[in-house]
Amino acid sequence: MTVTTLPDTDLKPEEFAQAAVAPIADAVGRPAREAAKVLADAGLLGVCADEDDGGLGLGIAFALPIAIEAGRQMLPLPLVEHLLVAKALHGTPEAVALCSGQRLATWALQGDFGSGIAGHARHAADCDWVLVADGQGGAALCEAASLVLQPDEALDPEYPQYWLRLEGAQVLARIDAPTFTALQRDLQVLLAGFVGGSADGALVRTAEYMATRVQFGRPLSAKQAVRHMLSRMCLARETSDASVHRLLEVDEFGAERDTGAALAHAIAQSAFVLEKAIHLHGGMGFTWELPLHHGLREVRKFDAAFGAGALARQAGQLFIASVE
Amino acid sequence: MDRSSAIPDAAAGPAVYRQYARDWLRANLPPHMRADSVGYRTPTLDECRDWEAAMYRAGLAGMTWPRAYGGLGLTLREHLAVNKEIGALAMPESISSIGKELAGPIIQTVGTEEQKQFFLPRILAMEHYWCQGFSEPDAGSDLARLRTRATPEGDQWRIDGQKIWTSGAAKAHYCLLLTRTGTVADKHRGLLMFAVPMDTPGIRVVPIKSIDGKESFAEVFFDHVQVPDSARLGAPDEGWNAAIRVLGIERATNRMYRAWRFDTELRQLVAACKSDRPLSALLQDGYYQRRFGEVLGEIDALKGLVERTVRQLTAGDAIGARGSLTKLHWSECHQAFAGLALAVVSHVTPGSSALAQRAKKAFTTAYLFSRAETLYAGTTEIQLDIIAQRILQLPKD
Repeated sequence: MTVTTLPDTDLKPEEFAQAAVAPIADAVGRPAREAAKVLADAGLLGVCADEDDGGLGLGIAFALPIAIEAGRQMLPLPLVEHLLVAKALHGTPEAVALCSGQRLATWALQGDFGSGIAGHARHAADCDWVLVADGQGGAALCEAASLVLQPDEALDPEYPQYWLRLEGAQVLARIDAPTFTALQRDLQVLLAGFVGGSADGALVRTAEYMATRVQFGRPLSAKQAVRHMLSRMCLARETSDASVHRLLEVDEFGAERDTGAALAHAIAQSAFVLEKAIHLHGGMGFTWELPLHHGLREVRKFDAAFGAGALARQAGQLFIASVE
Repeated sequence: MDRSSAIPDAAAGPAVYRQYARDWLRANLPPHMRADSVGYRTPTLDECRDWEAAMYRAGLAGMTWPRAYGGLGLTLREHLAVNKEIGALAMPESISSIGKELAGPIIQTVGTEEQKQFFLPRILAMEHYWCQGFSEPDAGSDLARLRTRATPEGDQWRIDGQKIWTSGAAKAHYCLLLTRTGTVADKHRGLLMFAVPMDTPGIRVVPIKSIDGKESFAEVFFDHVQVPDSARLGAPDEGWNAAIRVLGIERATNRMYRAWRFDTELRQLVAACKSDRPLSALLQDGYYQRRFGEVLGEIDALKGLVERTVRQLTAGDAIGARGSLTKLHWSECHQAFAGLALAVVSHVTPGSSALAQRAKKAFTTAYLFSRAETLYAGTTEIQLDIIAQRILQLPKD
């Protein structure tokens, strides 16, 4: 594989955001396999994977701007899940296949082998492999063809979540409990970035529209109610982004920060921004043609996958337990 | 002012400074000044002054001010590290934040060398407290309508006018006073700033009772107040332009400990519930657990905004209007906390634990006081306007 667009690794993570813009734009609208090839050629699929597996061997800080850009452009591919699975399977043929884009992987965000059913796997029908919790703290990479996939089209008929029946699952690789725990943390960081990116894309689109849509002889952005709503959307985007980036750093005493409250915050703020973006677009916002609804569906799917408010409740439980 | 020999060397880094601050603050804060203690009583003005002066001697104030004027010459990183520990302990609010976070930086920017030498060390040593004389009855957010006049008379200035919502006016030694030299028609032109001693004849302070039952702010009347030219801070417009710059940064950096203090208050609320059997049942309720988690998310986001600001300023970047984002968020974040806290302490009864009683008193007051937080330092609506205008750059026509 030849990495063609990513900058040298001595550059900063934020510079990866710029490098990710063009390949993600190129991938949007292509069939999943082609899109994966485009992203692989740009080095995005293996950004956190071992260099021996064809990856770049970089930390999660370098994947975050890529996740944000994927959200901003509403990339219909499980990029976040894929690049994390490639990282976790280091030293395996599967990791090599994932970095090169020859294979596509997703992740069932709910359920495990103990219950026999898993769910909330994005784009599973387009993927070769699905990562499923094994019910004992670790996870197993399963051959998608060995599972019974059932689309859940209620929230998103175009890009449904998938439920998976696990009887007869063919397991290709296993991830131990410590690795899976760390991987889940990485997932929450990147998903918070992804939904924050969706909000950013919606805000930029809406601000541009409000600045150019003329009614009563002036742009809609001249109206205070509109200006203040856009400012609130801006604040929501900024607080979400600030709390997500905070997760990348340990505190002064070396303690790692809990991700649950930040992801809950990011989901809530992004949903707010997307809902208001649709509203401010008026009738056009309610049409299928305008892609804002895709972003909202994606954010709501993640909310559902994490228990629709359960993240905030769990963060509250953890905080309460931490007080002596 | 003798400084403690235990102050860490700047090269030790923020982590060492934070640990030092944590140890010193916890060892030295008088128990009755801890707001989360059942032994708490409202500290006197002198007790607050002594505490802040002790903090300064211990190297926990004036972190970024030049050494020549009593500061430590350190960076915002050490300032932030200390502020995290100030926030982590339920200590009294500063009685001179206007001096330390507004007047001091403005004097550093436009003051004469003589003014810097005189005022700055005394602000840090808590010899002088300051109040802020900007708002007027007819000029709140719109300072272009400012009416308080400064008229040159020989080598002196005569000041006439009225200020309002002046926090701490009754106890302040100096007022950072904004006046105009021309007429209201000049709008933002000709604004002149002074450091006015509050014991100058002609100044009258009339306290205003606020909804939290306190008299923490006041009307201040200036009737033929004579001040020497040496009280002037910069030339006409210069002081005000500096104030605009300082205010922009101040919105993002003042009371930097807030997010960590909010965290401490949230912990105090939980601790109070755990000390009382009926209240502890609330902590098992999924609704309250979720509300705690949501407020925690808001607080963490505020921490993120503050840390980001420090990184940007340390790197030499301008933060522009981004301080408005921080101001808007902290004020609404704290109101969200206060709403949750009030809901929880509403369950406190005469039979509840002492900690629960203490929490009820503290957080009922906090709820009422938090109504002011979306007003002072620029109302929510003004911040939304600034964000729309300067960050989103939305056209009006």
